[in-house]
Amino acid sequence: MANTRTLRIDLASPRPVYEQIVSGLRTVFVSGEFAPGEQLPTVRQLATDLGVHHNTVAESYRVLAEEGWLDLRRGRGAVVLDRREPKPITATKHGFARRLEELVAKAITDGVPRTALASHMAGLAKKLAKP
Amino acid sequence: MIPHSQIIFGGFLLSVVALVGAALWSLPAWSRPGIFFSVTVVPGFRGTTVARQLLRSYRIELLAHLTISFALIAAATGRRAVELLVFGMLWLVVGPLVAISRAHAKAVPHAVAHSTIREASLAPRSTHLPGGWLLQSAPFAILLVAAAYLAAHWNQIPERFPVHWGINGQPNGWSTRTAIGVYGPLCFGAGMVAMISALSYGTSHAARLIPAEAGAERTASPGDRIALVLIGVEFFLAAMFSLAGLLPLTGSPGAMSILVLAGGVIVFAVLLVRWQSQGLAAHAAAGHPGDGTPDACWKLGLFYYNPDDAAVFVEKRIGFGYTVNFARPAAWILLLITLLLPLGLAVLTITNQRH
Repeated sequence: MANTRTLRIDLASPRPVYEQIVSGLRTVFVSGEFAPGEQLPTVRQLATDLGVHHNTVAESYRVLAEEGWLDLRRGRGAVVLDRREPKPITATKHGFARRLEELVAKAITDGVPRTALASHMAGLAKKLAKP
Repeated sequence: MIPHSQIIFGGFLLSVVALVGAALWSLPAWSRPGIFFSVTVVPGFRGTTVARQLLRSYRIELLAHLTISFALIAAATGRRAVELLVFGMLWLVVGPLVAISRAHAKAVPHAVAHSTIREASLAPRSTHLPGGWLLQSAPFAILLVAAAYLAAHWNQIPERFPVHWGINGQPNGWSTRTAIGVYGPLCFGAGMVAMISALSYGTSHAARLIPAEAGAERTASPGDRIALVLIGVEFFLAAMFSLAGLLPLTGSPGAMSILVLAGGVIVFAVLLVRWQSQGLAAHAAAGHPGDGTPDACWKLGLFYYNPDDAAVFVEKRIGFGYTVNFARPAAWILLLITLLLPLGLAVLTITNQRH
């Protein structure tokens, strides 16, 4: 379990580092690897391990706190919250479906085999089906 | 005719030069497999003719600096010239640094792009002291035993006793039978041990942890090996200051105690080389994970300066241990403390001496 709890970023990616951290942590939370009440590493610790400035990690934690994933009360560190799933508006649902289709099309264009994609998405669907 | 004590003192200093020289000779081989003189290279680069030539040229320069330092120290002990001795010791520090920087400059054209991938473990870190409380408190216990022995033999301590010896082997500093005069060196030792212990705690908790190594064998983690080395240093300091603290009763640092201390250092150095080789083999097995620092931030191959890195402690790229990120204010504060604390304690102890 501990070994799967890793966060990976690419400093050469055109995507800002703070966004990569937000996205990586969000994926970890959605997969249920962190139970509500568990603590994330401190801003300084994560920034040290990733070799980035602590403001970058602090910004990521703030974004995740705004999304309702983290509680950043002073003196407690970053605590994972039991996040209530918000009711999405229809436009968000449609927008997401379109973005997902575009992402799949891009992956196929870049040479990812259709079978690999299908199997990965099936795995993802299985994970999401868990309560 | 050079006095016997002076020959022992000279021999001791020259052994230090030889030991430092041996360490500097093998230092480049102690870096991670993908790093050569602070430059990121392809993992098999060390086996190439270019790398061997570079290493040979570094070692020739190193030998030249060691010879100069050796000659200066030998001349200083023969002529009782303290200035020459200081110059010789200074050469021992600066000369090899110049040789390393020159080798680094020659290695830069062979650099390859370093990995831009960074990984961090999200698992909580251990908050324990390296080695545990028992091992960390043992050096303090050694100093306490020495203090208790002094207290038990208080009446046998002379009113005035030598605590410092000159380059000619003759005493040139005395202390008196007062609490600070007798227990001063032990307090100094306790301060030094506490400082190393704090550094050990700081590096093991604040240094970068690389997940590829975190799950590997114990010997694979550089942090664990460094913590062990620092514990070894704590024991060495405790033994040295206990011997110094017992001088009021023993009269002079006996040849036997110096031999025991020197033997301890040699045994520890051999163990260290063994751990390091095991660690390097584990690095190779782990697929050469990088140290997470960009090449461009290593100034002269020796000093790390990266304002975009939150790390205060980073692994040295040449040799063994940690250095600091000079772009972090905390690193400067730490450097000041590690310089001022021993200096302050030394001044307190010396001011109690009579000349």
